[in-house]
Amino acid sequence: MKNTKLLVSTIALLALALFPVLSGNSYYIHLVETIMIYAILLFGLDIVVGYTGQVSLGHAGLFGVGAYTAGVLFMQLSAPFYVSVPLAILLTAGFGAILALPALRVSGPYLAMVTLAFGTIVQILINEMAFLTNGPMGIKITKPVFAGHELSENGYFWLVAMLLVLSLVVVHRVLKSHLGRAFEALRDSPIASDCMGVSVYRYKVYAFVISAGFAGLAGCLYSYSEQYISPNTYNIELTILFLLAIIMGGRKTRTGAIIGSTIIVMLPKLLDDISMFRLVATALAVVVIGGAIFALMRKNEPLKVIIPVAATVLLAVFSYWIDALTDWRLTIFGLMILLVVYYLQDGVVGFLRKFIMQGRVRTVTVDTEKNAEIAGGAILDVREHGAETILSFRNVVMQFSGLKALNNVNLSVRRGTIHGLIGPNGSGKSTMMNVLTGIYAPTSGEIEYRGEPIAGRTSSAIALLGIARTFQNVQLFGEMTVLENVLVGLHHTFKSNFADVGLMTSRYKREERAARERAFSMLRFVGLDEAAGDEARNLPYGKQRLLEIARALALDPQVLLLDEPAAGLTAPDIAELVAIIRKVRDHGITVVLIEHHMDVVMSVCDTVSVLDFGQKIAEGKPSDVQADEKVIEAYLGGVAA
Amino acid sequence: MLSIRNLHAGYGKVKVLHGISIDVPKASVVTLIGSNGAGKTTTMRAISGMIRPSEGEITMGQGSDAKRIDGLDSHRIARLGLAHSPEGRRVFATMTVTDNLILGAFARLTWARPRGDVKADLERAIELFPRLKERRHQLAGTLSGGEQQMLAMARAIMLNPDVVLLDEPSMGLAPILVEEVFRIIEQLKGQGVTMLLVEQFAAAALNVADYGYVLENGRIATHGKAAQLRDDPSVRAAYLGASH
Repeated sequence: MKNTKLLVSTIALLALALFPVLSGNSYYIHLVETIMIYAILLFGLDIVVGYTGQVSLGHAGLFGVGAYTAGVLFMQLSAPFYVSVPLAILLTAGFGAILALPALRVSGPYLAMVTLAFGTIVQILINEMAFLTNGPMGIKITKPVFAGHELSENGYFWLVAMLLVLSLVVVHRVLKSHLGRAFEALRDSPIASDCMGVSVYRYKVYAFVISAGFAGLAGCLYSYSEQYISPNTYNIELTILFLLAIIMGGRKTRTGAIIGSTIIVMLPKLLDDISMFRLVATALAVVVIGGAIFALMRKNEPLKVIIPVAATVLLAVFSYWIDALTDWRLTIFGLMILLVVYYLQDGVVGFLRKFIMQGRVRTVTVDTEKNAEIAGGAILDVREHGAETILSFRNVVMQFSGLKALNNVNLSVRRGTIHGLIGPNGSGKSTMMNVLTGIYAPTSGEIEYRGEPIAGRTSSAIALLGIARTFQNVQLFGEMTVLENVLVGLHHTFKSNFADVGLMTSRYKREERAARERAFSMLRFVGLDEAAGDEARNLPYGKQRLLEIARALALDPQVLLLDEPAAGLTAPDIAELVAIIRKVRDHGITVVLIEHHMDVVMSVCDTVSVLDFGQKIAEGKPSDVQADEKVIEAYLGGVAA
Repeated sequence: MLSIRNLHAGYGKVKVLHGISIDVPKASVVTLIGSNGAGKTTTMRAISGMIRPSEGEITMGQGSDAKRIDGLDSHRIARLGLAHSPEGRRVFATMTVTDNLILGAFARLTWARPRGDVKADLERAIELFPRLKERRHQLAGTLSGGEQQMLAMARAIMLNPDVVLLDEPSMGLAPILVEEVFRIIEQLKGQGVTMLLVEQFAAAALNVADYGYVLENGRIATHGKAAQLRDDPSVRAAYLGASH
């Protein structure tokens, strides 16, 4: 597998390098060059769209900023290529930051509107600031000059190709690193990301700035490639085209970005030339018919394949029926997009992957042999640190418009104990967890952790102080593997930055290796090491709950909050869970346990507090609480378990 | 009422069910028992059309009314009279409790009578779950976990279904409410509602059920009258736990 990949990429690189020599046609050389430049931008855009799941309509604007940085530097200061490239990257990244800082406070349609406005403003500014940009007249540029020699068409092609490969490597490394994992995690579950110490806002901005940097590089290369830039190139249509390229090529893959960029560059050209269009339409029909026959042999329903077959055959017939394309261009373009969106939702790459692998499960490479030596030392022992009372709530009130979910709650948790929190549904237990982990700021009152007030701090800050949690309705990073989920929890162990990752410094490699080993032994701790390579969403429910515990432990917490860990578990699983909770406590970690299974609460808790209507109604040893009249009436009911 | 023959299903390449056969007779309660990952929820999802079975037959109704439902979309299956109260609640968080319930009867609403004749059913549902009555104008997302669970169950019943699938109805509920949920199941059973039940409290489930199936690794390991399973020492050891 690895060898074929190497072989394919070597052949692809060779073909790319030889292309200008072999083709010798400057029109085609320029086309491929444009594809490569767009691909660089799409690598970056995919970080935002594919990984963090945000939609940006501002990337044509950023592309324009990159192009005009190069253009203005060339025209006003005759700056050389090797100066304008880094400046274009930095300046565009800076613009990206200016855009992202306010824009990423919002998401969804609002983010789309803000970025759209940005794109429009950039275009207008370029037009109006004629003293700098030469306005609508545009700027003429020569090819880059090195040591007095202007680069030839072929020379520039190779330069772009090299930068493409370089971008590919850097993007790939970033996305496989802790940064990439943070981007993916915040899309799958923002709330869990924050509670794992990965600030959602910060990493969204980070992703956007990196993405803008690549747009800047692409823009700069584009201006040297076209040798003429004018403001109306960088319009909303280009942005839409970029997004389409990501969707059609397939998000979250680099191959997808290259295929997508090929499609958006070639499609308009294809629709210029009727004979070419006929050829391609026929070929497409043949391929789809072939695929349909193949699908039918695999016992797919005939109804499903008939529509694409009919559509492509009609397209082929249609291509011979019309004489000229000009009138039909937009219609054909639109229909093709419709077809792609309907049938290739995961893009070309996603479709092929599904076809070839038939949904084979994604696996990660973990050296299982070697990991056998790693002992259970993965979990930090915190026995001997700090004060006796690790957590205390003082007169905490949490009010949701009229409803007091917490009404003057006082509670203190002793270090190293298992503290149970029970109460009827709606009594405020989960609210208490959410207040403690910074998801809500309490209306009034104080919360102290190791003698330090933490009310009002952000979730990620509180998580990094050492308070980890699981969620009542499981909040895993579904599209990531089991191992990667724990690695997100270990994010705080990384000191490496973007440069370390891009250059693969020894510091980053060491941190990544250490994190993987620790993550693996944490999985062993909860008995999930066998499933390390499975996608988290494919785990059965009970295992997902155990994975949440492993991920929370990765934070090296002093306090672990478990929100109904036994919900939905059968009796044998519960026994396993109880053993794990005890083991966690034996490492000196304080456990706060919300649970409805009274057998669990009674067997593991040192102290139990009972909430009802946002107030504490009882507290003490499990056996005392169980016998309490008020508790029986409000919570336990007639037959105490 | 509901009959499953040789059902195979899974997610992509991962096969979870390897040919299971289950019968749910009219007006009876049948429970599925098994450890985590045995395929209980997958069975439920395959029946209600949320995932497509790769092989096998699912039929609903009896005699000449019997209809194949495997391979149909879930909304069609719902219209044929099968309601699914899914694991993990899934209520419509930004709508009121009442609207959630009315949507449960969506299949019976028409343009001419947008609120249909659901009033009686609404009363019945709220009577079963008195807690929802106090909360009827509140947004479902602001309910506590246990109340959301009750809403999900009540919403399933609003369909006036022939068959109800209940997946972990007591999950996340306080002991006092767990009793309540089982009381409601009893009550529905008394009204002649056919139910397929998956429950973490296997012992309690076997108490209310007429018949049980034990799932192991996607296959039926054993099945029998609920009372028999309850007394079966191997079932007791593996699924019922010592404390029950």
